[in-house]
Amino acid sequence: MSAITRFEDLEIGDDLPGESPDVSMPRVTAFCHAAKHVFERFIDHEAARREGFAAAIVPGIMSQGLLASMIHRWAPGCEILEIDTVFRGSLLVDSEITMTGAVTDTDDDALIAELDLAIVAEDGRTGVIGTARVQFEQ
Amino acid sequence: MDDDNTMPELAAVRDQWVGVEFDWTTFEMSAENMVAWAKACGETDPRFIDPSHHDFQAHPGFTTHCMSGRVFPKEFPQIGGGFGIDGGKRVEVRAPIRSGDTLTATTTIADIFEKTGRSGTMIFIVQRMEFRNEAKDLVSTVDWKMIKKAE
Repeated sequence: MSAITRFEDLEIGDDLPGESPDVSMPRVTAFCHAAKHVFERFIDHEAARREGFAAAIVPGIMSQGLLASMIHRWAPGCEILEIDTVFRGSLLVDSEITMTGAVTDTDDDALIAELDLAIVAEDGRTGVIGTARVQFEQ
Repeated sequence: MDDDNTMPELAAVRDQWVGVEFDWTTFEMSAENMVAWAKACGETDPRFIDPSHHDFQAHPGFTTHCMSGRVFPKEFPQIGGGFGIDGGKRVEVRAPIRSGDTLTATTTIADIFEKTGRSGTMIFIVQRMEFRNEAKDLVSTVDWKMIKKAE
């Protein structure tokens, strides 16, 4: 499905276009500096392994931000009213992860769509699940 | 299913602490960090990456990086094992956050509950931060779910 510009074009069950966002070490490091969350487990593979992880991990709050950006691309000009994410498992830096989303409900009077969201790790594990409420323009 | 052995104690903790404010902190919102955050998250909408845009504002989850001075209130009881893990964040966007805003965050314990699953009984402690701008407008609410294993 291409970008949605009008609420009227939405249908419950629509899928957002899946994306594989950049979670390379330079990108994650840039995020950590912007977030003032510069911890070794996020920016150093060896240090993360010493903490018991398979490699450096993507910060949970960055994964939420990646999903928000996907929503903005799917519905340009929309406003995210609420985004709720559950961190179920680690997403590894320098891996290929896949984001998905689907419309689960709509409020035709308020022009609000509800979404289910997920991020799947390279090995197929679900790392993040979530929901969002999105306001479309009048 | 709830664990009958821990419920009374947890119920008492909930009754005493849910709704209690315990931290007040201010945060400066800078365009540089707002743009860097949004770009690192792969954002392409100019509202979030171009400070010259007429509606330039922080990315929806930007306040999730703002940490309160304390994780728990003083004298909050030790419940569950260890420090706990980050179970997730819920963000409500109430109004745009602008570059140069000084936000005041008030932190409360919003909820305490337990769930039992394959990993046993886990205790969830929800810390809520409410962010207001200089005009006292509520701009963002962040719920942070901390998960601890019941002992």
